[in-house]
Amino acid sequence: MAGYILRRLAFVALVLVAVSILVFGITSLLPANVAYLILGPFAPPEQVRALELKLGLTDPIWQQYWRWASGILRGDLGESMLMNRPIAPLLWEAIVRSLTLTVTSFILIGVIGVGLGVIAALRHGRPLDHTVSVATYLGIAVPEFFWAIVVILVFAAWLGWLPSSGYEPLSAGYWIWLQHIIAPVMTLVFGHLAHVSRLTRSSMIEVMQSPYVTAARAKGLPERVVVIRHALRNALLPTITVLALDFGRLMGGIVVVETVFAYPGLGRLLVFSIQNRDLPTLQAAILVVAAIYALANFAADLLYAWLNPKIRYGRSVA
Amino acid sequence: MLAIEDLTVRYRTPGGAVEALSSVSLKVRTGSTLAVVGESGSGKSTVALAAMALLPPEAQTPSGRVLFDGTDVLKLDAQRRRRLRGSRIALVFQDPFSVLNPSLRIAEQVGEGLVYHRGFSDERALSRAIELLDEVGIANPRAVARAYPHELSGGMRQRALIAGALAAEPELLILDEPTTALDVTIEAQILDLLEDLQARRGLTMLFISHNLGVVRRIADDIAVLYAGQVVEEGATERILQAPVHPYTKGLLAAIPRLGRGRTRLASIPGRLPDLRAPPAGCRFAPRCPFAVAASALPQELRHVGDRNVRCCRAQELVATAWPVQDEAASGTLRAVLSPSEPILRVDGLSKTFTLTRGFGALSFEGWRPVMRPVRVKAVDEVAIEIAPGEVLGLVGESGSGKTTLGRAILRLIEPDRGSIRIAGEAVSGKPQKALVPMRRAAQIVFQNPDSSLNPRKTVRELVGRPIERFRLAPSGEVPGRVRALLDLVRLPAHYADRYPHQMSGGEKQRVGIARALATEPRFIVCDEPVSALDVSVQAAIVNLLADLRDRLGVAYLFISHDISVVAHIADRIAVMYRGRIVETGPAEEVMRAPRDPYTITLLSAVPTVDGPPLGKRARDEIAQR
Repeated sequence: MAGYILRRLAFVALVLVAVSILVFGITSLLPANVAYLILGPFAPPEQVRALELKLGLTDPIWQQYWRWASGILRGDLGESMLMNRPIAPLLWEAIVRSLTLTVTSFILIGVIGVGLGVIAALRHGRPLDHTVSVATYLGIAVPEFFWAIVVILVFAAWLGWLPSSGYEPLSAGYWIWLQHIIAPVMTLVFGHLAHVSRLTRSSMIEVMQSPYVTAARAKGLPERVVVIRHALRNALLPTITVLALDFGRLMGGIVVVETVFAYPGLGRLLVFSIQNRDLPTLQAAILVVAAIYALANFAADLLYAWLNPKIRYGRSVA
Repeated sequence: MLAIEDLTVRYRTPGGAVEALSSVSLKVRTGSTLAVVGESGSGKSTVALAAMALLPPEAQTPSGRVLFDGTDVLKLDAQRRRRLRGSRIALVFQDPFSVLNPSLRIAEQVGEGLVYHRGFSDERALSRAIELLDEVGIANPRAVARAYPHELSGGMRQRALIAGALAAEPELLILDEPTTALDVTIEAQILDLLEDLQARRGLTMLFISHNLGVVRRIADDIAVLYAGQVVEEGATERILQAPVHPYTKGLLAAIPRLGRGRTRLASIPGRLPDLRAPPAGCRFAPRCPFAVAASALPQELRHVGDRNVRCCRAQELVATAWPVQDEAASGTLRAVLSPSEPILRVDGLSKTFTLTRGFGALSFEGWRPVMRPVRVKAVDEVAIEIAPGEVLGLVGESGSGKTTLGRAILRLIEPDRGSIRIAGEAVSGKPQKALVPMRRAAQIVFQNPDSSLNPRKTVRELVGRPIERFRLAPSGEVPGRVRALLDLVRLPAHYADRYPHQMSGGEKQRVGIARALATEPRFIVCDEPVSALDVSVQAAIVNLLADLRDRLGVAYLFISHDISVVAHIADRIAVMYRGRIVETGPAEEVMRAPRDPYTITLLSAVPTVDGPPLGKRARDEIAQR
């Protein structure tokens, strides 16, 4: 198992290096460089040139990359040009707020999605199954911003239970903090349930018809044990892969949801830095998203290996 | 102990209700073994499920009772049924490869019945599981208890399943084809184990099988099932020695016998009736050479001598044998061995599979990384020769490398080393593009016609494609060629418009053979061409292949795990074991006087329906006398 973990970790590191090269390469290809952006469109060329020299922008690209990448390894992400603040604390706040959204949504998607999938599979072909299908499809078929608007209309404008947008820190009170989280989480969860529930349903239906489930029934085990211990454990394997992919999709989903709900997280930071051509912030933010994505997949691989002994050991003893 | 009375089971399907069992009555006496025998579609597995009250939701039982120890299990509520299953009645399934849960350790699967039925703690269940694994003859029960199913061989898995079935000390053990997925040598060990357990524990067994040879070793009584009806029942040896019902006669005649050499096999023409609307009269009549007008009337199970038979002519047919009616030609086949240049010459052929490579081969000794790829020598320095029109039978257990060898010869798998010449032309070492003439001269028939025929193509397209590909006929003549080929494999011309799913297994395999013949090959690799088929159909395909050899002079490499089938068609036999050919020789010689110890084991493990009885019980009986 140690070997397996190390192999996967090496792979994650490789992916991050590749992503950092891509991010740096693409942002360097953009027409406007940092010196030009700092000094504004009407600065004289010699002044731009001087700043370029000072910032090292005339160095070969690989040297620039090395400076940037080694800075990141030391925890130095550079300075935001627009806010004139170091990026690291800025980014950190945004990450924490965004992860609050995504992790909560993710857990709810996992629990509700798997639960709905199992129920639909056990009631396979009956009205409850169809109801679950239609509802989850509706969630995935209509774009997130639409649901975000519906949530605002219903819960903020009509019922008045939730604030329509914004963010309050925990220090403002637990209930107030929670109120600001509920609406974006609902939107994210509804938009992602279908993947998990549909896949759990279909693999559960398949597993429930497998010989080993019949064999478990033939042993006279209680139905609860047959479903959870014998069927679900195996049926969850494909679901885990999709869950990990969904975590990545959630990171994309927050861009839309945070914008609609004016929630100051990673998504809004990304949009903001793109709109204002804040290149250092943009680079750091993209790298962070990629890292979260890679780590989510790494976690999925570990979980997968834990549930599936064939991967864990890989070869037979007899 | 178990009595099934007048049981009818119907499955609801989109095409209508299928009657799997029609008024079946069976009795298993305490301490005895009843074998239910039948081919696919006979309803034998439904018997097993009904006895466990485990029928799927789409099954209906319009009539009948299943009495276990006096109580009707079909009438019990779900809770009581559950308590019966696994505790007083246990079931061992057919395929040990899919019946064990891949993500639970063996000990958990063996012992969990004890936890739920007998209230054992997890630790006690574990130690009992280890004892049980020991009892079923597993060498290192502690290690196996901790293992996952994929780490065990087929035989070990089946032993573990039997251990699990025995855990709660059931009174009745139902075995549904427990050895079908296993090699003959392993099968013999499992049968020994079952006999042993029965003697020690006084088990009552309901044994379900299609293999009469296996049944003979284990059963006191036999019930033969055909299309959902019992057609003959009685004592095992009596039925096997003197079958009365025409179906039983045909089934026995179709079994290839060891030591009979290259004789024609009897086969049963036709196929099962449509069970959505089963015929009112004798269900076997359309396939029966003895059918008369009275066969169209409903048939009753009647007492004839020492058994019950469902046939109106039972009395007069007692002494009549099943006719070998598969066309006029009969008797020993022509033995052709031309001295000319061999059609196939293979020398020093080797193929090693690397199971883990790259990152996957990385493992750790402590924290020190080492590259340790896992390699399997599937084919190891093999040399064979086949003369034109000759049949070389290739026998061996699963995993011995037979299929790899067959495919490597045709370069469907790239061999690592060795030379291959087909029809005098070098095949090894050439790029695939240069192999086109070889692809025409050498063809292959696959084991499973379900997966080797494209389900979206008609028979005409399937058989016509090679003709077009090799431009063997102008496109206008292709349909005519296809008709001729279908005629050659004895399929009616209108089958050209059928899709694979509209044909039976035997018919599909005929299409597979026609497709191979389409290029007018001189050599065909037949890779287990009959293993997926029922005995009665298998005989017809073996006969067909033998005829085609005689008429067209095609040579075969006939691969099979079943040495008795091979013995019926092969001129010479090669025995393969762990990637090597351990023995080659003329078929009669290998069968009569095998030299290699592995061949001897293989031959002695084959369960037979005649000749001296095999197995422990038989040996004990002989010793007592």
